[in-house]
Amino acid sequence: MEIADLPIATSHRANLLAAGYSSLAALSAASPPRLARDLSIEVHEAEEILKVAVGANKSKGADGPSTSSVLKGAQNAWDMLSDEQSRRHINTGSADLNNILGGGIHCKEVTEIGGVPGVGKTQLGIQLAINVQIPVEYGGLGGKAVYIDTEGSFMVERVYQIAEGCISDILEYFPHCHDKAPAGQEKLKPESFLADIYYFRICSYTEQIAVINYLEKFLGEHKDVRIVIIDSVTFHFRQDFDDMALRTRVLSGLSLKLMKLSKAYNLAVVLLNQVTTKFTEGSFQLTLALGDSWSHSCTNRLILYWNGNERYGYLDKSPSLPVASAPYAVTIKGVRDAVNSNSKRVRVM
Amino acid sequence: MRPAAPARHPSAAASSSSSTNSQQEPRPENPLLLLPSSRAGKLSLGCPVLDRLLSGGLPPASVTEIAGESASGKTQLCLQLALLAPLSPLSASCLFLHSDLPFPLRRLRGLAPKSRPDLLDHVLVAAAHSPSDLISLLSRAQRLLAHPGRLPPVRLILVDSIASLFRADFDASPADLKRRSALFFRISAKLKELAHRHRCVVVVTNQVVDVVEGEAGNTVAWSSGRRVSPALGIAWANCVNTRLFLTRDADGRGCARRRMNVAFAPHLPERACEFVIRRDGVFGVEPSGR
Repeated sequence: MEIADLPIATSHRANLLAAGYSSLAALSAASPPRLARDLSIEVHEAEEILKVAVGANKSKGADGPSTSSVLKGAQNAWDMLSDEQSRRHINTGSADLNNILGGGIHCKEVTEIGGVPGVGKTQLGIQLAINVQIPVEYGGLGGKAVYIDTEGSFMVERVYQIAEGCISDILEYFPHCHDKAPAGQEKLKPESFLADIYYFRICSYTEQIAVINYLEKFLGEHKDVRIVIIDSVTFHFRQDFDDMALRTRVLSGLSLKLMKLSKAYNLAVVLLNQVTTKFTEGSFQLTLALGDSWSHSCTNRLILYWNGNERYGYLDKSPSLPVASAPYAVTIKGVRDAVNSNSKRVRVM
Repeated sequence: MRPAAPARHPSAAASSSSSTNSQQEPRPENPLLLLPSSRAGKLSLGCPVLDRLLSGGLPPASVTEIAGESASGKTQLCLQLALLAPLSPLSASCLFLHSDLPFPLRRLRGLAPKSRPDLLDHVLVAAAHSPSDLISLLSRAQRLLAHPGRLPPVRLILVDSIASLFRADFDASPADLKRRSALFFRISAKLKELAHRHRCVVVVTNQVVDVVEGEAGNTVAWSSGRRVSPALGIAWANCVNTRLFLTRDADGRGCARRRMNVAFAPHLPERACEFVIRRDGVFGVEPSGR
């Protein structure tokens, strides 16, 4: 049984989902006062919901020993699979890139995106911060974004431009929706897209660590955040660190924390990384920064590179998808498919 | 800034988050509220064609690099910006940190309008001879930016040029390259911090090097018949937000066609525009005028 099937008021069901309670296990782990606060309802109503949820959990346990009764919060692989299949992904703006990523950027996972300066890392980061906000009725997640800017490349006017591009594409793909849905129409303003990004500008690695520690509290208060973008995770860690072992420990601590947050709050974490030259066997080669042990820290790794005058994305690491590459373009509207890519251009977002 | 810091600071942040003092707790900003100031804070180049190329001018709170070979117009542009800053809506002073000696004072006077000799009062000049010089200058500048005194506030920092600071003292050995790039990131972090905290426009000029075969990842362009890249390699390229590349191609009749290329920028598409250097400054040329 899922949240959507619980025999409770429809408004409560919608609120539960909006507040980030995506599974029964997550719901039954919550306490009544906390649930009441999250849904802004009375405590006794929250107790009712929990009673129903516990009952539903029990009835599920009747036809097979449920793991959640043995180990609180645990899920079996079947539940996880169906949970994952029902989950929506965050559109990158390019259908080809979505394809190699298995539908887009995945929630509950940490994705690293690296590339040379100017290839479009920040553009993709901003695009994701906008696309995560596409309303549910238009096939998006309708969530909010946290953008942690360490380099100062988050240009508000560009964000506005990308939001405008996103809206014009939505209206193009859903022409019938925008005369009959005045409520949805109200939301589709670049201004509201901008206002739903929580933007942190940080100027040192101590601030970076502090913000990531603070995220735990912040995300607890803002359950509608569906993506956390750090642009870039690298910059402040490339100065002043003489002790590389310490740097590795600090960084893996950060990535572990982010991985936990992404699971706990059902959100995507995107870390942008820089490229450096590595000296191996007498020659210099391009590689992502922060060293070898860092490359184990992220679940997925997408490398952006130039192939002649075309931009390409290369999925370098993923637990479930094959290694693949695809072209993309950065246009005035944001990240889109490359114009002369062979695949079908017209595809619903 | 020693590596012991990360262990200490998070606990400090954690303890403050429980208290009511919100000064220590990181606060998210609303991008919508930043929009007007980021539009109004742009510094014009004093020419509508070049301003159109940069969609309004150089952005505040961000580091812009101007790269180009010698005599491509980098210093010209810097001098022009230094004189424009007090006249612009920002009405700001300018901090000009130079490493190429001597400071081109006569050219600066030549560019200043005869009616406004006082403009030179707003250009604060200091020389930096090494990376550590520059870092200490920037730390001192922090105080100046916070308490400008009688002067209009400093809203423009020019560094001309970053490459000549690194010409000496560094070998091509891996250890030296690592030391060098750590310095790049320190300088850049300092510049970006000043830019962010005081909403400054920061401009750094850079020289070019001939492209060695096999070196990938950096910006490449043709200039004066050479294939060149901005100096200091890909490590430095990671340190700037916007890169403008000034190139030149001789057309055989003795007059060079100069171009300003947007190599990369978070807010601009890659595009280019021709420009000329005249006695009274640097000016863009309308593409249709040719």
